[in-house]
Amino acid sequence: MESSRDPKSIYKKIDAYVKGTLSESEIDALWEEFAKNPDLLDQLELEVGIRKIIKDRIAKKKIAPTHSLPNWVWHASAAAVVLMVALVQLFRVDTPTNLEDFLVLNIPNEQLETADGIRSKDMLITTADSLLNLGFAAVSAGNDEKAIELFSEVISNYDEEPYVSKAFLNRGIIKYNDGAYQESISNFEEAATRASENRMISEKAYWYLGNAYVNIGELEKALEAVGEAYNRDGIFRKPAFVLYRKLSYDLGEIDFEEDTSSDN
Amino acid sequence: MDYSKFVTAVLMNDKNSLREFYEVLTKILLKFLLVRMDANLEDAKDSAQNAIMFGVEKIKNKELEHPDLIINYLFTTAKHDYLKHQSKRKEVSYDEIPEHHSEPGAQLDKLLDEERQGVLQRCFKKLKPKQFNYISYWFENPQSETAFVADHFGISVNNAWTKKHRIIQVLKECFEKNINK
Repeated sequence: MESSRDPKSIYKKIDAYVKGTLSESEIDALWEEFAKNPDLLDQLELEVGIRKIIKDRIAKKKIAPTHSLPNWVWHASAAAVVLMVALVQLFRVDTPTNLEDFLVLNIPNEQLETADGIRSKDMLITTADSLLNLGFAAVSAGNDEKAIELFSEVISNYDEEPYVSKAFLNRGIIKYNDGAYQESISNFEEAATRASENRMISEKAYWYLGNAYVNIGELEKALEAVGEAYNRDGIFRKPAFVLYRKLSYDLGEIDFEEDTSSDN
Repeated sequence: MDYSKFVTAVLMNDKNSLREFYEVLTKILLKFLLVRMDANLEDAKDSAQNAIMFGVEKIKNKELEHPDLIINYLFTTAKHDYLKHQSKRKEVSYDEIPEHHSEPGAQLDKLLDEERQGVLQRCFKKLKPKQFNYISYWFENPQSETAFVADHFGISVNNAWTKKHRIIQVLKECFEKNINK
């Protein structure tokens, strides 16, 4: 005997069961569906498995609550950390952290570059600006293909800054989120080079370029790009510093004298 | 699972078909007892087998025929058999630790197997960042309505379900491809 309900409604019930929002009678009814179609039990098992993976990841990332401490504690801690790092370096013990913990998994849409609100030279929205805005709208609507088309149009037809670097950066972000890291790299590199006079765009381009390099295992190039992002001293300074340290460590390039002096 | 064929197999004593039916029914009842009754594996196995045995007798005696009734009978009998053995054990075991109740979520975790979970974990890591982000958000916010998820990603509720289903399918395909390697 086949399952009596339509698959969509059963999948929704399974989802609710995994989330713990079904009543006891609904659970019993669902088990009857499992008895009629045992393949649905595999579906349940899969969803429970996914939930567990995500729960474990969250638990791993949970940080202990912070409490304010007197200044001497911070000084003592800093000294202890320096000492500890030196000892770790001395004995070359592998770090327990994973490089992927420091990476950007998905670049949020807000990071896409659009037209500037008010331009210093003129108050007009140019065609290139409009295309950038339309591209942003396309990404927000989930139409990445259309967005790539619009950003490519800016690149082909408006060879002027800051439009082209923004378009390259945006294309890089879409490719990055799609897991096409190699393609994102060429776009971020173009964006970074063309925006050499624009600290904000170049910082963003270098930061994501570094992340993309890590994703393909090119750690030395990643270190260089992340260093460039850090040097621009903008909004990515802190994560760039952390990733730079991690990469340096993993590459065995950490220099404590230089490191401690630069920290002070 | 065609229960009318199961009835026929019992009545005709078709051993080959019965073997297949027993296997599927044992799997269902075992998981039911693990999850719904919080049973341990050995007890669940015993009660699942007992329930099937009683069910087969009922079918042979023409007391059970309708598919829905068979399902209902098997679940109820498996549950009662398990509870009966649990209460018997309690009568003789005075030092037993009081019965504990796990959360429903934790009981569902009893469906998982370490090796299979490892394969799923590897498949999960292969998801594209967008898929990873979406499915993580979905399960990280279990109490949220689908409309909330849809709103977060700027898509319709229907598309939110479709998107979730597609990602599950990607994981399922990867899992099935790798589980027997």
